[in-house]
Amino acid sequence: MTDRLRQALAEVSAAASAFSEQMTDYDGLLDAIADSCARALDATCTLGLFGDDGTTITPVALTAVRPTVEGLEGMLRHPRRYDQSLVGQLSPETGNVFVPEIELSGLRDRITPEAFTAIEQFGVRGFISVTMRVRGEPLGVLTVIQHDTTRPPLDELDRDIATYLANVAGFALANARLFRRVQEELIGRLSAEQVAERTRASETRAIQANAFIDAIVENIPAMVFVKDADRLSFVRFNRAGEQLLGIPRGELIGKSDFDFFPKAEAEFFVAKDRETLRNQQMVDIPEEPIQTASGTRWLHTRKVPILDELGESRYLLGISHDITDRKRDMAALERARDAAEAASAELEAFSYSVAHDLRAPLRAIDGFSQALLDELGDALGETGRGYANRVRSSAQRMATLIDDLLRLSRVTRSPLRRQRVDLGELFRSTIAALQRDEPARRVEVVTSGDLITRGDPRLLSIMFDNLVGNAWKFTSRRELAHITLACADTEGERVFSISDDGVGFDMAYSQKLFGVFNRLHTDSDFPGTGVGLATVQRVVARHGGRVWARGEVGNGATFSFTLGDTNAT
Amino acid sequence: MTDRVILLVEDNRDDEELTLRALAKSKITNSVVVVRDGVEALDWMFRRGSHASRPEHQVPQVVLLDLKLPKVDGLEVLRELRANDTTKLTPVVILTSSLEEQDLIRGYGLGANSYIRKPVDFTQFVDAVRQLGLYWLVLNQPIPG
Repeated sequence: MTDRLRQALAEVSAAASAFSEQMTDYDGLLDAIADSCARALDATCTLGLFGDDGTTITPVALTAVRPTVEGLEGMLRHPRRYDQSLVGQLSPETGNVFVPEIELSGLRDRITPEAFTAIEQFGVRGFISVTMRVRGEPLGVLTVIQHDTTRPPLDELDRDIATYLANVAGFALANARLFRRVQEELIGRLSAEQVAERTRASETRAIQANAFIDAIVENIPAMVFVKDADRLSFVRFNRAGEQLLGIPRGELIGKSDFDFFPKAEAEFFVAKDRETLRNQQMVDIPEEPIQTASGTRWLHTRKVPILDELGESRYLLGISHDITDRKRDMAALERARDAAEAASAELEAFSYSVAHDLRAPLRAIDGFSQALLDELGDALGETGRGYANRVRSSAQRMATLIDDLLRLSRVTRSPLRRQRVDLGELFRSTIAALQRDEPARRVEVVTSGDLITRGDPRLLSIMFDNLVGNAWKFTSRRELAHITLACADTEGERVFSISDDGVGFDMAYSQKLFGVFNRLHTDSDFPGTGVGLATVQRVVARHGGRVWARGEVGNGATFSFTLGDTNAT
Repeated sequence: MTDRVILLVEDNRDDEELTLRALAKSKITNSVVVVRDGVEALDWMFRRGSHASRPEHQVPQVVLLDLKLPKVDGLEVLRELRANDTTKLTPVVILTSSLEEQDLIRGYGLGANSYIRKPVDFTQFVDAVRQLGLYWLVLNQPIPG
């Protein structure tokens, strides 16, 4: 082995150990590479590194063994285009160039004028450029420049040493970069945790110290609690909460749900807490049971996440209303309503059945009275026949009464189905039917206003049978009667009115008009059952409307009604 | 010679008597067979049970059917008559005191030919019976056979 080779080996070995010593100091490593290379080859050495996209190269270290090469220093840290560098122009494929002796005339046409000027200016006699690669990826270029014309030119051994150093330097650089990245991440994480710690501490202070909020929270008549987002342990609890649970807050703070409530209950609470914190949205729990010192209570709870300035859930705020009493009252109300509805349905069924079954004996009374008249009419004599006829008319009257009650019951039971109804048309057809039964009556009929509305046609027809029927009946003593249907807007409400110029009534009794079986006239004056206006009132009530009457003895009557929300279905 | 019979299904003795009187007053001369519950009505129609020996020449021209009946009610009787080939075309007139909408709908739904509510006023009742007798026994042309 020649001395030169032995010396080179020693230099390379020294370089390798110098690189590993500089592993934790990236910038130091860059200088060490240039230094070692310059020493090993006794020549000026520069190190350039590729930019991220590989199109630029930046000189990062320079070691000159001869008196300073002016201008080269100034190029440090300035990125340049790789394709305008010497290697990039002379050997872009391999990235390696070995020029022991530059022939300027041959080089002039192959490189940019700037590069050529630089070579002239820096007095380059020969140079070696080797691209450093790690797993095939180019990291940078190590360049060895010889200026000295008194020494032998660069040779293959120099090239091999440079190549070997470039390989070792490449791995050292890759490792150093990895180390630097890991270190940066570690440092970054550490500082984030420190920031969070500080934030938490100041928030805790704020939440503990704000007397204004304290006063509000303490006196709200609902349980208010705050839990730490990580451990879900209580950090605040107000007075209403203490009273509700029956646990002093001293025992609560720092503890979690699992310390106080049955496992399943605590798991439910915690699941809702986590949901709130995870979605960073308020969660509303309309009903949840909770075990307290005074037994099970029911809560309506809202859980709200409280975020820090980084947008992380930091605390959970809970507000719970004790709805145990309201729930119990509601249940009682519901039971009462169900019972009332059942009773009402039962009553309806009963009244229907009674009305229904009462007709059978009436048929017998009427039928057999007639049979009596048929078979024994002569023997009964005039008085007897009169009595038999009165029995019959009583039976028939009772049948009418029963039919009216049936209708009243049906009005209450059948579902309301609104549709377009022309009350004017209904009015005229009702009058026409009455006129057919009593063709001799003279009645003038007038309608006015917008009479199109929405209501249940069957129920409205029953109502008009009664209202118009009454008007017809109570004007029967007039030579020429007048019956009017009108519509007027009163205080934003449509009011329909049916007026007549009949016998009227005394307003003192107006309250009694709409009661079942209440009558203001004797049957001999005006026949009737006293169910009609009760039916009218039910029809109106089913529509959500009102009905009222005005009248004067001898001066007619007006019945007015509204039909509720006619847009309803 | 076939005997065109009116089958009156009626459990109320008063209504039975009155219906018979009304038929007589209406000059309807067909013979009337009275049965008092749903089971008996079906037995008579299908010549089984207590009416297994019903003479074959007695052909029901029209059935006057009450709805409220002991054992098997009127609508059930109607359902069975309509389900059977020999009786599915027999005219059935529901004669009842019920004016329940549901009864009407179900009666017609099961294939009743008419639905008449018995009026309390006997004069009206006679009128109704005369009309239905006139229609089902005189005017209406039964299916041949």
